[in-house]
Amino acid sequence: MLSRTADNLYWLSRYVERAEYLARILDATQRLTALPLAYVGESNEWESAVATAGCASAFFRHYDEANEENVTHFLAFSADNSSSIRSCFELARSNARAVRTALTVEMWDAINGTWLELKRYGNGPNSREELSRFLRWVQESSLRYDGSAYRTMLRNDAYWFSRLGVYIERADNTARILDVKYHLLLPENERVGGPLDYFQWAAILRSVSALTAYHWVYRESLKPWLVGDLLILRDEMPRSLASCYQAIVRNLDDIGAAYGRQGAAQRQARGIRTRLQNSQMDGIFQRGLHEFIGEFITENNRLGSLVTEQFLV
Amino acid sequence: MRIRISHATKYIYETPPSEVTQVLRLTPRNYDGQYVAAWHIDLSRDCQLIQHEDAFGNILHSFTAEGPFDDLTVAVEGEVDTQDTNGVVTGTVEKFPPQLYLRETPLTQSDPAIADFAESVRNANGKEPLPLLHRMLGALNREMAFDTDPTHSATTASEAFTLRRGVCQDLTHVFISCARRLGFPARYIGGHFHRADGVTAQDAGHAWAEVHVEHLGWVGFDPTNGICTTEAHVRVAMGLDYLGAAPVRGTRFGGGGETLKVAVHVDQARRQTQS
Repeated sequence: MLSRTADNLYWLSRYVERAEYLARILDATQRLTALPLAYVGESNEWESAVATAGCASAFFRHYDEANEENVTHFLAFSADNSSSIRSCFELARSNARAVRTALTVEMWDAINGTWLELKRYGNGPNSREELSRFLRWVQESSLRYDGSAYRTMLRNDAYWFSRLGVYIERADNTARILDVKYHLLLPENERVGGPLDYFQWAAILRSVSALTAYHWVYRESLKPWLVGDLLILRDEMPRSLASCYQAIVRNLDDIGAAYGRQGAAQRQARGIRTRLQNSQMDGIFQRGLHEFIGEFITENNRLGSLVTEQFLV
Repeated sequence: MRIRISHATKYIYETPPSEVTQVLRLTPRNYDGQYVAAWHIDLSRDCQLIQHEDAFGNILHSFTAEGPFDDLTVAVEGEVDTQDTNGVVTGTVEKFPPQLYLRETPLTQSDPAIADFAESVRNANGKEPLPLLHRMLGALNREMAFDTDPTHSATTASEAFTLRRGVCQDLTHVFISCARRLGFPARYIGGHFHRADGVTAQDAGHAWAEVHVEHLGWVGFDPTNGICTTEAHVRVAMGLDYLGAAPVRGTRFGGGGETLKVAVHVDQARRQTQS
């Protein structure tokens, strides 16, 4: 397989996953802003949305203030933002077109259909309701593409590179969503463990569809270190960092076995998985969750560049 | 190196026991020098295999097999990807500070002969830890001969050193005894070794020591082969001595005339280049 084909498949999966993530962030932020604040406090949820999407500096080059209208437009529809939902779907579709023959009919239908429907949304929704419907449509489109890839692709290197893209992006996204709480400051007259704190953690869990999962695994009320445990260390939780890395190592192993050689990418992936397996949540909290997340995002990015160097150029 | 291991432990009973309970330390953990690609434990009797972790961080499996039965086999199969770390062991689960491993145990208690040996190596080689330990490794490898006859699993370091003979377990105990005598924390490692001479069938697993060197960390020393640990070593369990890292320990209710057969196969799984 050409490295260019692998590159297109890898990035196609990453863009589709990224679009779903942005939709989840916007959804979560909408929920957070809907919470009653019975006092005059700084509402920084929209700023935290931009921070967790990782495009704070780009945002503030175009806008002065982080409010609902600006952030929604920037993250969902802006052509200036190369990581907006619109840009992600357009780049995904052009990647897909370049490797049309490596995709199954269902996959091409899914991604092309999404791109065509995107045009119908024009320059953005006119109301909050339309926005909600749009976000739900984005998540469904991403699911349809991912599902058709999982259900119809032949299990060969094309499939493994696609999955690699999905999981590397997903690990990055979960790490950033956990970091949201760090950026979200509790207003002064709210206490840690109080109702606003609870709603903020619940909103984060809801954004990754893990609120019920949390109660199945830990039969107690929401505690920050358990939320962290669920989303970082638990193999059972499909979006967790541990589970993503389990899949990343398996896919890299399959690629290594098929090509008869391993390299720095496999070693880096295993190193990260080992470190996650050997970690305990209280150790992570003691060192600082924010620091841990920052380190993880850096290491995950390093894996991305090692994969690129080893296979995609 | 990708190493494939199959390790079968079979107990044969002349008089069948009514119940056997065993604790297994057979499952390796990942660390910077190895990644477990696949690992599976199989028992010859239907029972529940429960996984926990012991105080040192070893993965433990325990089960109770209801009898009566004539034999019981614990079979382990797996593949491990190892890499050479120049003998330095990092990225492991460490539950205790290194000083704990200065503790003496009955199996590794030093005697005057061992103390003399250790001190003579130090007097000849100075106090620099790493060269000293390397010289001791070589000296012990020359001093004691590998012999499966005279010793058994309960032989102490002192007894083995008196005989100047033993298996990897005994050489490791003596090495640990010497290291602790000189003030270095040392621990017993049970695992597997891929032989370079092409012999894949072995009668037992392998054992070596790890010694804590200041500013460097834990370093693996294999006195039976006279080398530091390489990518041919697969690290399974650790303890203060053999009892803490034994692959299988258990009790039996009733029954008698027990014989033990161990068969280990260690070879290289598919050729693969590293880049």
